[in-house]
Amino acid sequence: MEDDVNAARHLFAVSGSSDGENGANVGASGAGGVITPRSPVRAALLSELLTQVGRGSAPAFERLYDQISGTVYGVALRVVRDPHLAEDIAQEALVEVWRQAPRYRPDAGSARSWILTIAHRRAVDRVRSEQAHADRLRNHGAPDATHGEEAGEPDQVVDFLYAEWEASRVRAGLAALTALQREAIELAYYQGYTHREVSEALNIPLGTAKARLRDGLIKLRDVWEVAQ
Amino acid sequence: MNADVHALIGPYVLSALTTDELADFEEHLETCAACREEVASLRDVTAVLAEAEAAAPPVSLRTQVLSAVAVTQQVRPAPASGVTPQARPAPAPASGISDAQPLAAQNPPAEPPAVTNLSDRRRRRMPRLALAAASILVLALVGVGVGTAMKTRGENLAFEHDVMMVTSAPDAHSMDLSLGNAHLVMSDKMDAVVAMGQDAPMPKVGMEYQLWLMMDDGKAMPGPTFMPSSDGEFMAMMHTSFDGVVALAVTEEPHGGSVAPTGAPVAEVTL
Repeated sequence: MEDDVNAARHLFAVSGSSDGENGANVGASGAGGVITPRSPVRAALLSELLTQVGRGSAPAFERLYDQISGTVYGVALRVVRDPHLAEDIAQEALVEVWRQAPRYRPDAGSARSWILTIAHRRAVDRVRSEQAHADRLRNHGAPDATHGEEAGEPDQVVDFLYAEWEASRVRAGLAALTALQREAIELAYYQGYTHREVSEALNIPLGTAKARLRDGLIKLRDVWEVAQ
Repeated sequence: MNADVHALIGPYVLSALTTDELADFEEHLETCAACREEVASLRDVTAVLAEAEAAAPPVSLRTQVLSAVAVTQQVRPAPASGVTPQARPAPAPASGISDAQPLAAQNPPAEPPAVTNLSDRRRRRMPRLALAAASILVLALVGVGVGTAMKTRGENLAFEHDVMMVTSAPDAHSMDLSLGNAHLVMSDKMDAVVAMGQDAPMPKVGMEYQLWLMMDDGKAMPGPTFMPSSDGEFMAMMHTSFDGVVALAVTEEPHGGSVAPTGAPVAEVTL
């Protein structure tokens, strides 16, 4: 009787990654045993944390901070290339995440991309408002000095393994793009160019710039299978 | 839909629109479901681009952010839409993401923030639970038992989706679970409970964890078994009615789980 009841229940259980302990392998597709930031557990945790933050939970925000601050800071650093400025931007962005969290809706996209969109926009706004932006437009090939900082705290080392793994995946994905798609996306995402600036820098019509940004992203999505 | 506007999806997702264009495009998004869907999927692409850049933030950042948050009031939930993080400015201090004005001094908390205390929420639930416990038909069960090892991508996505449905349900509420840094999320509406966490210790060799519903008649109804990953992450979900449930517990059981607990709970949450 008890067994019948048990069998009728709808049960699920997973471990966070495939460590071979119980044979449950639920790492994100293609992860090859690495727990990725998009593993089901992480994605669900972050979404749930953000929902709780949206209801005013400060402890949830603290945990969310620990999950995402490295990426928020890292993307800001990549765009503005100045550690102090990147810290300012990360702070503004994370406070904005807190402020706007009641508006987060899971059906409009993942919690991760919602948060990172806020951070990236902040960084791009800042870089555009800088005097230096005009100079960068003139020589967009300038090497970036601040990229690739060392991991500081032990509990973040794992995150940097992900980052490294992601970086190689990103390189592989970018390699699948046409030169024009790749350049357009790099200028827009990593250097904060508007689509108009992209078209000027690459000397292509505006319509072409828009199209390459979009079909480049679609190509990356297909390569990475990040969408369903 | 306007083809010209539609073509701005790429620039939009990459933050490559000017402020004016951004406002126009977001207006368009509210009326274009196809664009919203494409935006959501392409944003996951830019999230990968961002993740590859993860770097150790200065230690000072944490303190600064947490103390700023402590004195920053949140916006009110959007009425109905809210396609993007910043689609609708707050009623009072209108602010999209591009307005730089997040910090404390500019937003003194003028009214009580929308903090919902979990224990308050629990208290409100109690009468309902008590009523439910009185009903004699103990369990309304749904679904079919599913094994613990889920292998395909499709199953993972379905599982992830189910968990999100539970954790983001309007009546979802969360309770701490003392198994590492963990909590339970329950939703009556979804008839489900999710246990999830990090830093969970490994059970003894040969054992795994099992979730239980402790009933008001003293019986324990078995739930799924689960193992933390090597870094202590775990997640388990159970679809069930909560009628007659007085507590949830986790025990260590031999592999495959048991029909009744064989040891004392390692963690327990009383409803």
